[in-house]
Amino acid sequence: MTKQKRKIPRRTFLKSASAVAGTTIGFPYVMSSRVLAAPGRAGANDRLTMAHIGVGGMGGHHLRDMVQRMKKGEVNIAAVCDVDEKRLKRASEMAGPQADVYHDYRYILQRKDIDAVVISTPDHWHGVQTVHAAESGKHVYVEKPACCTIEEGKAMVRAAKENKVSVQVGSQGRSQTDAYLAHRYLVNGAIGHIDRVTCFHYPSPVDNKPVPDSDPPAELDWDFWLGPLRWRPYNQRYCHGTFRWVLESGGGQIRDRGAHVMSCAMWWMGADGTGPVTVEATGTSPPQGLWDSAVEMDVTYTFKNPDWILTWNQHPDFGVPPEERKPGEDKIIRPGYGAVYHGTKGTFVHWGGDGGTWAERKAREWVPPPGAKEVYKSPGHKEDWFEGIKTGKKTIMNIEAGVGVANLCILGNISFILKRKIVWDQNKQEIVGDEQARRMMSRPQRHPYHL
Amino acid sequence: MDTHDLIKNIKSKKENVRASAWQNAYTIGAPAIKPMATFMRNVDLEVARAAKRALWNIVRYACRPGCESIAKAVVAELIALCGDDQPAAVRREVLWMLSEIGGDEVVDPIAALLTNQDLREDARMVLQRIPGNKSLAALKAGLTAAPQDFKLNIAQSLRQRGVKVPGLPCQKLVPTKETKVEPVGR
Repeated sequence: MTKQKRKIPRRTFLKSASAVAGTTIGFPYVMSSRVLAAPGRAGANDRLTMAHIGVGGMGGHHLRDMVQRMKKGEVNIAAVCDVDEKRLKRASEMAGPQADVYHDYRYILQRKDIDAVVISTPDHWHGVQTVHAAESGKHVYVEKPACCTIEEGKAMVRAAKENKVSVQVGSQGRSQTDAYLAHRYLVNGAIGHIDRVTCFHYPSPVDNKPVPDSDPPAELDWDFWLGPLRWRPYNQRYCHGTFRWVLESGGGQIRDRGAHVMSCAMWWMGADGTGPVTVEATGTSPPQGLWDSAVEMDVTYTFKNPDWILTWNQHPDFGVPPEERKPGEDKIIRPGYGAVYHGTKGTFVHWGGDGGTWAERKAREWVPPPGAKEVYKSPGHKEDWFEGIKTGKKTIMNIEAGVGVANLCILGNISFILKRKIVWDQNKQEIVGDEQARRMMSRPQRHPYHL
Repeated sequence: MDTHDLIKNIKSKKENVRASAWQNAYTIGAPAIKPMATFMRNVDLEVARAAKRALWNIVRYACRPGCESIAKAVVAELIALCGDDQPAAVRREVLWMLSEIGGDEVVDPIAALLTNQDLREDARMVLQRIPGNKSLAALKAGLTAAPQDFKLNIAQSLRQRGVKVPGLPCQKLVPTKETKVEPVGR
């Protein structure tokens, strides 16, 4: 059980870097859409050339979706990349023979023919890869949550801005039809002035089958998978999927689904670009196992000017109100997460907030009166991103908004870890009056997997 | 709960007893550090994990604003665990604890680990995180003394601390493993 050794001598690598070492190349590169369009930006009718970094889990979903778009002539897929050889092989089968295969995403970023990357790696890679991609002039679709630390988020915003690339964070709930209906319903004052949003979610799991650390499977480059994180031995309970329940990476339900549910809240409350003044969390830790994210949890975010409260409540037994059922329907299925919006004239509930978003019936059936305010209706999360790439318009879940939501999740976890209230300065983007919490705003990263 | 109770409960076979013990370790503080570090080596992985969490619980409580004297005592106990008599896994964990609560007083023992092959990367990152001129000076000295294969690492820390490092540019792309996967269908 040792750290992985790198196999290519440095001199050999440098010689071959321009020929894209680390990949198998049999086909000529496809032409970047930028060759035919305005400098730095794809033309409106051009096919974008994509690469997929991280192709398991959500990455597989994105690749399948992009393959469909490729078949319709909307995009090219030039490369797929993963540090797990089994996943990479599956992705190659899915993407087709024109797609080169890579173990190391950094070689993809060197290619001039690629316009954009879809990053679906574990959360602890999002910041580093997004910044690298932006620095390489690639547009980015990055899975949520955007970042693991406050400082990563700042670097992502800065890199996107400086390099003028379009970033879409994968909180796709904002692009769902019911999200549009809910947004329209709320901004038109249907439940009056809203001063409290209560997010609900079922608990994070406990690892009831802990296993000792072991050697990683042969197909996995464990050192690269860990990337920016401090080194630790491989453990079966801390890898694909299960990283979600480890604080240093996935961060539990509040970062997984909080990045969806709170994304909707910030969007509908018109609160993108704002932040809380205080964050206070309480919760329970798993009694055993490697996973350490909160099992049950309550977080209160206090916003000022305008004043409102956002809470994250992670407990079992959130039911669906019977009035949501249609006549004759004795059971209705909704995700066990969502939010209740409390207004001066009533409440409103939505469920989900990710790829599945359900607005309460009264919002779905609401007919706007003459003169009602209209809100942006996303053409689809990827379509909205493509528009951003081609026109330069801000995406619906742009990097500033994505980082803002991720910061809520991060601050909630810091307060949970430290068991004390955090004071946040939104203008300076920093924690105030608590040196230990301030240090937790960033996390030094291993060389060379750093910002 | 006193230290005796903590030790008894942290090695319990019942996960809830262990969990209650580590979650209340902060009430004991510095005196619990050395015994918990010993239990981090326990053959029962859940006992070892509970002991590690007890240490983190103490560290996270000790640095509350206004608790400087508690933090000082905890830091002193942690420094004592940085020596060669402790296994690398314990020292690595202790280093990261010090990254959250250590000041100038921890710089020398951490800087000494920049020459330890197993721990130098952690030591480098931890020094990066500790604010102040002393940690910065230790990184600069570490860069001068570092073997060629570690200079880029320390240079990166210095850049993060706002120092220009001529001759050692930020290098993110380094030799890496090749995939054995062939593109399907070619």
